[in-house]
Amino acid sequence: MSAAITLTGLAKSFGTLAVVEPLDLDIRAGSFVSIVGPSGCGKSTLLRLVAGLEQPTAGDISIDGSSPAHGRARKRIAMVPQQPGLLPWRTVEQNARLLLEINPRTTAAHHPDPRDLLADVGLGEFLDAFPHQLSGGMQQRVALVRGFALGAPVVVMDEPFAALDEITRSEMRTLLAGLLERHPATVVFVTHSITEAVFLSDRVLVCSPRPARIVADVTVALERPRVDSVEDSAGFAAICAELRRELRMAMRP
Amino acid sequence: MSTRHAIARSIAPVIGITVFLVLWELTVRVLHVRPFVLRSPSDIVAYLGKAPDDFARAAWVTARHAFTGFAIAGVVALAVGAVLASSPFLERAAQPVLTLIQVTPFAAYIGAVVVWLDGGDPPVRFITSLVCVPAFVFAAVAGMRSADPASRELFASVDAGAWQVLWRLRLPSALPSLFVAARYNVGLALIAAYLVEGSNFADAGLGAIGKRAAANNLGDPLWATIFCVALLGSVALIAISALERTLLHWHPSQRQVGASWAGRAVRP
Repeated sequence: MSAAITLTGLAKSFGTLAVVEPLDLDIRAGSFVSIVGPSGCGKSTLLRLVAGLEQPTAGDISIDGSSPAHGRARKRIAMVPQQPGLLPWRTVEQNARLLLEINPRTTAAHHPDPRDLLADVGLGEFLDAFPHQLSGGMQQRVALVRGFALGAPVVVMDEPFAALDEITRSEMRTLLAGLLERHPATVVFVTHSITEAVFLSDRVLVCSPRPARIVADVTVALERPRVDSVEDSAGFAAICAELRRELRMAMRP
Repeated sequence: MSTRHAIARSIAPVIGITVFLVLWELTVRVLHVRPFVLRSPSDIVAYLGKAPDDFARAAWVTARHAFTGFAIAGVVALAVGAVLASSPFLERAAQPVLTLIQVTPFAAYIGAVVVWLDGGDPPVRFITSLVCVPAFVFAAVAGMRSADPASRELFASVDAGAWQVLWRLRLPSALPSLFVAARYNVGLALIAAYLVEGSNFADAGLGAIGKRAAANNLGDPLWATIFCVALLGSVALIAISALERTLLHWHPSQRQVGASWAGRAVRP
C-alpha cells in the first residue's frame, strides 16, 4: 500500500529568496527516489513540502490524489529526520510507539508492531533502554522504526544517516533496504552520499544549487534485493560516475 | 556504582551538617554570644523539648501554608508558562510584571494584603503563592522553549495538536528547569509563610510564635522557630531531590558517568 506522489509546478520562496524553482515530478508508487545535491540547495525544503510541513508558494503536490496536509492529518506520511529526535524520558519501545500514540484515532488499522520492527533492526534486547544508553547508530535505528511503525504509504527521510560514521552508515542502509522489503512504501530520501543513493534507490535525482532544480534524473536498474557486494559491480560504478559528472555540471556556475 | 561509593555519597551531607552544628555550638559557648543574638543548637533543642507539641503544631501549620502557596504557584505557573511559551509577544508583555513581583520586597506590603484579605489564611496563601510564581513561570517558559526542534518537527509531521505537544513534549522538556526553580521556591515559600503568619492576626504557625518572641526580646522561642523553619526546608529539599532522581533519571544532571544498559558495554 504505497502511494504515488505528483508535483506540479511546485515552487517555494522565502520572501524574495527562491528556494525551489517551479518543478514537475512524478514518483511511482512503491519506488525509492533519492535526491542528491550540494548543501543548501533546497532539497530539505522540497522534502518538507512533500511532508506537508511547508506550504508551497506556487504549484501543487498530490499524494494519491490528496494534499500533503491531508496526508499528515491521516498519518500517511512517516518522517525520519536527520537527528533521531528521540524523547530522552521515553524508553526505546515507548519512543518507537510515540507516533502511534499521538492522535490515536488516525493511526492505520494495520500497522507493523513496533516490537517486531525493533527486533528486526537488532534492538529486541533494548526495549526498556533509554536513548542515552544507546549509541548514535542504535538511536537512529529507533528513529527508523518509529517512522515505519506508522505503516504509512509514504516515508520521507532527510539525510537520516548523515551524522553516523561510515561503517554504521552502510549497516543502516542494509537495515533500511530490509525494512522496505517487508513493509513497502514510497520513499523520498535526501542524502549527500552518492553511493548510499545508488545502493538504495530506483531513481536518483540531482539537484542544482539554490534555487533547487532537477538537473538529472537517473534510473538505477540494479537487481533487488541488493547485497553489499553490489557496490563492487561495474554497473554500480558506472551509475555513481554518471551522477558525479551530473553533480559537477550542476555545480558549475 | 559500588555500595561503598553509595554510602560515602549519602554520608557526606550528614558529616557536613554535623561539622556545622559543632562549630555553631562552639562559637556560641566560646565567644559567649548574647542569647537574643544567637542560641546554641543544644539550647534550641532543649527549649523545643519543653513544649514539643506546640512547636510541632505550629510547624505543621507553617508547612501547610508554604506547601499550599508553592503548589498553587506551580499550577498557575504551568498554565501561564504554557501560554507565554507559545507567544513571544505575550512573554515580552508579561516579563516586566513578573520581574516586578520578584524584585518588590513582599515583606513591605504584607500589612496591606492582610487588611485587604481580612487576615487569617487567605493573605498567607496569596503572598506565598505570589512570590513563587515568577521563578516557576521563567523556568516553565525557558524549559518548554528548550524542546528539541527535531522532536517538534516530528510531532508536526503527524499533525499533533497543541495539547499533545504540551503534554508529551513541552512539559517533560521543562521538568529539569522546573526542579531548579522548585529548590529556589521552597525557601521563598517558607519565608513568605513565616512572615505573613507573624502579621495575619491568626496566632497560628511558627511565624506567629517568632513575631511574639521578637516583640518581647525572647531569644529562646525566636531561635526555636528559626530552627524549625530550617528543618522544614531541609525535609522539603530532600523530598524534592528524591522526586527529581525518580522523574529526571534520564537527564544528564541525574546520570552517572558511563552508564550502561543492564551491564552491557554501550557507547556513551
